[in-house]
Amino acid sequence: MNTDELIAALSADGAPRITPEGRMWRALPGASLLALGALLLFWHTRPDLAQALGSFAVYKTAVPLVLAALALGLARGIGHPEARLRVGTGLLGLVLAGLALALGWTLATQSAGQMIADLSTPDLVNCLISVPALSVPVLAAGFWAMRSGAPANPAAAGAVLGLLAAGIAAAIYSLHCPHDPVIYFFTGYGIAIGAVTLAGAALGARFLRW
Amino acid sequence: MTNREQSWESLMRAANRGDQRAYASLLGAIAPVVRGIVRARGAALGFEQCEDIVQDVLLTIHLKRQTWREDQPLRPWLYAVTRHKVIDAFRARGNRVDLPVEDFAEVLPAPTADDPLEARDMERVIGQLDPRAAAIVRAIGIDGDSVAQTGDRLGMTEGAVRVALHRAFKRLAQLRERMIE
Repeated sequence: MNTDELIAALSADGAPRITPEGRMWRALPGASLLALGALLLFWHTRPDLAQALGSFAVYKTAVPLVLAALALGLARGIGHPEARLRVGTGLLGLVLAGLALALGWTLATQSAGQMIADLSTPDLVNCLISVPALSVPVLAAGFWAMRSGAPANPAAAGAVLGLLAAGIAAAIYSLHCPHDPVIYFFTGYGIAIGAVTLAGAALGARFLRW
Repeated sequence: MTNREQSWESLMRAANRGDQRAYASLLGAIAPVVRGIVRARGAALGFEQCEDIVQDVLLTIHLKRQTWREDQPLRPWLYAVTRHKVIDAFRARGNRVDLPVEDFAEVLPAPTADDPLEARDMERVIGQLDPRAAAIVRAIGIDGDSVAQTGDRLGMTEGAVRVALHRAFKRLAQLRERMIE
C-alpha cells in the first residue's frame, strides 16, 4: 500500500476521538469514590474523625490532596506530546522541597527515642499496604485515560498518574489512620506514595508507549 | 477557494468535524514534510524503509489526533508526534538519530517521486489483519471505494464498516509496534 492509498484509507476513518482529559473527567471521580467506599466498608474511619479534621492532624489529608492536585494539573497536560509543563513541574518541585525541609526539621528537632516510639506500631505496615491498595482503582482509571494520549515521556506520565492515585488514596486513608506524628506520616505515607509513583513510572514505560 | 490556501489548523478543525476531504488534503500536505525529515535523518536506510517510517508517522498522527488542542498551532504538535515516532523507528532499526527539539523550520519537504512509493511493512501487517478488516482497508485505500460502497460489497452497514476501519487502524499500529520491537 503506498502512502497516498494509506492517506485515502485514513481519511475515511472519522471515528469520534476522546481526549485523555475527557476520559480522566469520566473515570477519575468514580474511581476515587470507589476507593472511598472501600475505605468506609473495609477499614472504617477513625473514631475521632471530626476532631482530627479540625486540628493539626488535618495535614495528613491536606498534604496528599495538594500532591494529588498538582499531579492532576500535570496529568491534564502530559498526554499532549508538545507539552512543556514548566509551571506544573516547578510547583511540584517547590512543594516537594518544602516537604523535604519539614522532614529535615522533624529529624533535627525530635528525639530519636520519641521517633522510634512513634513508629513502633503494627499500623505502619497496615498503612504501607492500604495506601497502595486504595490507589489501584484511581491508577487504573488514569492509565485508561492516558492510553488515548500521546505523552512524550511515557514513564513520566505513568509517574504523574501514580502520584495522582497515591495522593488521593493517602488522603482517603488518612480518614482511617489514627497516628498523627509527622515522622509517622513521612515514613508510612511517604514510602507508600513514593512506591506507587515509582510503580506508575514502570507501568507507564510499558503501557503508555505509542 | 481551494484547501491548499487554508491553514493546517483550519483543515484539522474541519477534519475534526467530519470533513473527510479536508483531512485527506491535510495528510497529503503533511506527508512530504514528514518524508523530508525522515530522509534527511535516515539516508542510510534507503527510500523504501524511509517510506515505512513515514507511514508509521501518518498512522500515529491519525490515531493520536485528539491530543492536538484546537486553539493551539498544529505544527509544534505535529513535530512532537513525528519526532517521537521517528526516534522510535530509528532506534528499532538500530540507528540512533538526533532530532532537534525546535520545529520543522529547516526541513525541506520531499514530495513523492513519479512512481508512488510502496511501503512493504504496511502491506505485511495489513495481511495479518482478519480478512474482512484487510478487505475494508484495501477497498477504501487502494480501490478508492467509499465507506458506503465497501459496505454494499461486503454486506455490512456503513456504521459497521466505520467501526471495523477504525479498529483496523488501531490494530495496525499495534502490529507495527510489535514488528519493530
